Amino acid sequence: MAENISDLVLDGNAAAGCLHEIFASDITIAQIQCDACASARPVGSLRLYAISMGAVLRCPHCDGVMMRVVNTPHGRWFEMSGTRCLKF
Amino acid sequence: MTVTDAATAPGKRLEWQVAEVRDIVIETPRVKSFLLQVNDWRGHLPGQHVDIKLTAEDGYHAQRSYSIASAPENELVTLTVECIAGGEVSPYLFGELCHGDQFQLRGPIGGYFVWTVAKRGPLYLIAGGSGIVPLMAMLRHRERRKVPVPTALLYSSRSLEDVIYQEELDAMAQHDRNLHVTHTLTRKQPDGWAGHRGRVDREMLAKASFPLSSKQNTFVCGPTPFVEHVSNVLVELGHDALAIRTERFGPTGE
Repeated sequence: MAENISDLVLDGNAAAGCLHEIFASDITIAQIQCDACASARPVGSLRLYAISMGAVLRCPHCDGVMMRVVNTPHGRWFEMSGTRCLKF
Repeated sequence: MTVTDAATAPGKRLEWQVAEVRDIVIETPRVKSFLLQVNDWRGHLPGQHVDIKLTAEDGYHAQRSYSIASAPENELVTLTVECIAGGEVSPYLFGELCHGDQFQLRGPIGGYFVWTVAKRGPLYLIAGGSGIVPLMAMLRHRERRKVPVPTALLYSSRSLEDVIYQEELDAMAQHDRNLHVTHTLTRKQPDGWAGHRGRVDREMLAKASFPLSSKQNTFVCGPTPFVEHVSNVLVELGHDALAIRTERFGPTGE
């Protein structure tokens, strides 16, 4: 498949399936606030970097990492220290 | 199933289901639509996608996301697939999948890149290549509901033979004064072509758009460079960045 890194950048909307396994409801329509720049927007409008081990979601305004999902043989890690809050 | 009780209802787990191919439509030399029967399909919203999973005999899994092309009002769920040379999943779907075959699917997924006739304001759709697919679900839904939401589609294809849903779009636009369809052909134009030539540019985007004061809902779908370019130009033209919803095509990494 694509080798070009820009081909791997998608919209947060494309992470809905992956995030749905963590959050019971569709989180891509929730408002999320970036801890680095304080801008707020729907989760579906973040930048998704779809890596082979999971997903990295970045703020489209400041490029700060807001959510990371990593699948390992021992479980699924979800980290969101770059996120200030979520509003449902 | 109606649009209102579909898909985004909270608390529902996403589970793999079996989809069976009921019909196949050849849309262009590189694009096919698969009409699927999915038991217990709980309905979807126009713009949503599904994940599909293929399992090889050795147990190897490949998973991809595909946009839904059908309206919620249609009986079968339609996926329109472009054959990507060197791809892992699409050549199989394109070349091997036959009537009656089954595969695993889960969805519908995603509540962000979604439009229904209940939304207020005109609808501005911009598609690059197979980026038309989720936008077609919106157009089909709009037509089935007979709600005359002012709608503009700006659709970029390589050549006339690469225009997906060409006849259906022509027919829709012909009998609907509130729907304006504009094509641009980037690589090859037939003799006497009256539409745009070349890539979507600032002038095309400004011309197809509704007035900035109209509170239009804008959806852009296509390959990443297309979506980046279009959304940047729209913002330069004064569109509200938060009112532009984008969906880039590419591998999902799972």
